[in-house]
Amino acid sequence: MDKPLKQELESIFKDIQVTEHGHARLTIVAGPPQVLTVLGFLKDKGFDHLALLSAVDRIENQEFELVYVLTSYLQDPRAGAVKGEMVLIVKTAIPRDNPLFNTATGVFPNVEPYEREIHELFGIHFENHPRLTPLFLEREYSIPPFRKDFDTRRYVEDVFDAIPFVGDEDQ
Amino acid sequence: MDRNQLAKWFRQPSKMANKYSLHAIYFCTGCGIIEIPPVITARWDAERFGVIPVATPRQANLFLITGYVSVKTLKAIVRTYEQMYEPKYTVGFGSCPVNGGMYWDSYHTIKHLDKYIPIDGWIAGCMPRPEAIFIAVTHLWTLIDKGMANGYEKYRKHYRSYRRNQEMALGKLDWPPLYQIAGSSQEPDHG
Repeated sequence: MDKPLKQELESIFKDIQVTEHGHARLTIVAGPPQVLTVLGFLKDKGFDHLALLSAVDRIENQEFELVYVLTSYLQDPRAGAVKGEMVLIVKTAIPRDNPLFNTATGVFPNVEPYEREIHELFGIHFENHPRLTPLFLEREYSIPPFRKDFDTRRYVEDVFDAIPFVGDEDQ
Repeated sequence: MDRNQLAKWFRQPSKMANKYSLHAIYFCTGCGIIEIPPVITARWDAERFGVIPVATPRQANLFLITGYVSVKTLKAIVRTYEQMYEPKYTVGFGSCPVNGGMYWDSYHTIKHLDKYIPIDGWIAGCMPRPEAIFIAVTHLWTLIDKGMANGYEKYRKHYRSYRRNQEMALGKLDWPPLYQIAGSSQEPDHG
């Protein structure tokens, strides 16, 4: 590789923040429109494995943060680096009142279950996802349960604590 | 065999046989199942106490609920419990089945397991040591001796309440009731 990845990313993409943590970790904060382009670019660079897609509810900023974690299985993206050592964290923020984002299944097909999980637990809709069906949950929730404004204590009181104990008196 | 127990053997042979040959269903509900392999194998050797794991609930009479119970697992637990033949004993293992443990305000973890199936004994701790299982087993012997491990009778007696609680937690159940509920049109499952 000619240039370090940080300079290369900053020269190609506008409005992108790249932070280095140590020698094998990069955090890339990109705007929602260009995240999928960044992911495709990094995949071509040799980061062929999406290890994780996660979401964070930043309720104080009224936004959801999507976190893509990329590593490399097959190639060595940097000269002199140990294979699989480099970890990239790609972050983007989407508005909380309109949680809508494009699916990344076109770039990384294995993102599909992660997006289903986030759709179920955070209520973020991924457009053009092949099957955005329920994955884990058995019950219906008024608010998706991983959002910060979901009051778990009140939910437990309303649902589980409302179920009576089985005693002798109800015979 | 203890000579002092000879009288008991002659008086109630079936109860004594039940007591000393507990067949535990090997059902992994949560993290507690990690304690079961050392318990049943050479290190602690549960067979000294007559406890042996079996493959299906239809051969078992001891049900260890090992660890937290999610709503999804509860469905499997109820089905497993109903398949076991009587007399059957259940032991809640770890603090999570007791009251949710560290998941006490979780959105998807069952808090009090004894609202849905009867529990004959609890083992507290997170996680309990394998020795605690043997203490529980010997304690269960005492309960069986005194006729206090009668959870299966309670289940039969209060089946309407248990079934109602199960439906409150799981929604409509897609299997027929185990026993006839008075006033219900659904026939019990004799399969």
